[in-house]
Amino acid sequence: MRVPEEVLKIADDIRSMKIRGASRIAQAAARGLKLAAQLYSGGDREDYVRYLRGVKEVLRSTRPTAVSLPNALSYVMSRVMRAYDSGADLRELIDVTVASADEFIEYSRTATKRIGEIGAKRVVDGDVILTHCNSSAALSIIIRAHEEGKDIEVFATETRPRYQGYITVKTLRDRGVPVTLIPDSAVRLVVKKVDRVFVGADAVAANGAVVNKIGTSLIALAAKEARVNFFVAAETYKFSPTTVVGELIEIEERSPLEVVPEEFLRSCRNVRVRNPAFDVTPPEYIDAIITERGVIPPQAAILVLKEEYGWALKDYMLKATAEIEEAL
Amino acid sequence: MEAGLEPSCREVLEAVRYGKIQSATEAALSVLKAALRCVQRASSAGEARAVLRDFFSEALEARPANALLMNVIRGAILAVRDRLAEGDLEGVRDAFERYYRDTVRSIEEVNEAIARMAVNRIEDGDCVMTYSYSTIVLRALKLAKDEGREVEVYVPESRPGLEGLHTAKELGNYGIPVTLFVDSAIRYLMKEVDKVMIGAEAIAANGAVVSKVGTSLVALAASEARVNVFVLAPTMKFSPETIYGELVELLEKRPESLVSEDKLREVGLRLGEGFGVKVPMFDVTPPEYIDAIITEKGLIAPQAVTFMLREIYGWPFRFAPIRELLG
Repeated sequence: MRVPEEVLKIADDIRSMKIRGASRIAQAAARGLKLAAQLYSGGDREDYVRYLRGVKEVLRSTRPTAVSLPNALSYVMSRVMRAYDSGADLRELIDVTVASADEFIEYSRTATKRIGEIGAKRVVDGDVILTHCNSSAALSIIIRAHEEGKDIEVFATETRPRYQGYITVKTLRDRGVPVTLIPDSAVRLVVKKVDRVFVGADAVAANGAVVNKIGTSLIALAAKEARVNFFVAAETYKFSPTTVVGELIEIEERSPLEVVPEEFLRSCRNVRVRNPAFDVTPPEYIDAIITERGVIPPQAAILVLKEEYGWALKDYMLKATAEIEEAL
Repeated sequence: MEAGLEPSCREVLEAVRYGKIQSATEAALSVLKAALRCVQRASSAGEARAVLRDFFSEALEARPANALLMNVIRGAILAVRDRLAEGDLEGVRDAFERYYRDTVRSIEEVNEAIARMAVNRIEDGDCVMTYSYSTIVLRALKLAKDEGREVEVYVPESRPGLEGLHTAKELGNYGIPVTLFVDSAIRYLMKEVDKVMIGAEAIAANGAVVSKVGTSLVALAASEARVNVFVLAPTMKFSPETIYGELVELLEKRPESLVSEDKLREVGLRLGEGFGVKVPMFDVTPPEYIDAIITEKGLIAPQAVTFMLREIYGWPFRFAPIRELLG
């Protein structure tokens, strides 16, 4: 059976960034698998698993960097495969798919909320906060602190090229949080007046390096220079198990047309536009990563990875060893 | 006070105030040129004096950080002061015209000298990052190309104002390969860069450089990546006022210069409804991130700015405070 239209629509929305943000992408991916399970019309459990793997591949290939996407898919698929291995019939496999997807989405929502509760403890009355892009985890902290009655003020960067900062401004304004929009270039000037920086993450690597929206590492550098605390808010499903075996996280480069209009490119020769969507913030610029399981120093990322992905890590290790042996 | 000013003067003030003319050199020269027109049109020495006073005062308010503008205005007033006192309109016109010609020529020569020195620091195959739009940096890069050096340029778009696009277009069409990117990608791409060359709005007595907002981020990222940072600036951009502790005033732009109503509407926002917009025009790069300032008198450490100021203004420093001159 082919991948249903409804699922392709979700994949398209992730690719075109209609659905964006690591948490929202992860939830959409889980929803995609659930939808695929509900729309399956074949009658055979082997065929179902093949079909579901195809769906998984379509969803996985939409964007390369956010590790929450493959992690969400693995969360569901690993449970389906365990059921399959223990002999579950088609009906049961479909049920497991739907239940696991719901479980993941529910987990994701609770995790973001929990991060808000934990992170808000790091916010002090009178704080000026800087945030970048539009992170649901970082916003969860800011909004929670505001709801706790803390008197805070927020600077939000525009976040070129796609201006996600505007959405952050809207969300905070609607909640009554005083917020000021600034250009990305004003970060060093503004960070002097800031007490704490909160950003989200698209992926956390085994060494604690954080992959997030382009510009994050520049803010971290400026914060470090100004001795301003820099916090990353990240659910544990944003930690990347494959980096434990040395895999690099690919940094997606997107279309030049997100940066300049086509007329501009036509009007000049010898000009190329580079549009990296993410950058990597080294762990030494990060004071702490706030997860739903608690606050950890970035260097302790491996702890989260062992706890959350122990089973998968073993697989990755075996696979990596097998590849090495094969190569030899 | 405003009544006496020609519409063309208003336009110039507007352009330098809100960054339509971002280049400090272009801003100073366009003010001087507009002042020249005022003097030529004046019907008496008294009128010339009044118009100059009003126009220069407003120009200084429009770009208070622009040291070149300040120094050029100081020079212009000193050049015509005696003739004004004598009420000699012809004399004022002659003196102003001469000052204008001399200044244009001198800036041209000085920039050429700086560009030539900067080229000595560009090696074959270098990738140079610049920021915003600096007439001197562009000149140096074109000169490097003319001399057959293979050079590649990286430039951020430089919001607000997007002068990076002008830099990219001008250099690209000159035959230099250019890579353009968003300001946020400065640190990401700094690893591929060999040198940073930037212009300045003003240089303070301690060697700190005032430049388009974002410049200090470029310098910070360069320093982290151990990439050398050169500031290309004539000594006319040194600010003698700062020796006596005056702070350089950093202006902000209007919110409209950053956000477009359309973009706001897309997310359901309107300007002035419950959120702030802060649009700084300049920032300050501390001297420790600058490897050298290339002036027409040679390449110096930023910490040696005081020494150069002493050469120009003597010791103890002697210069006419601009506010007194304007009366």
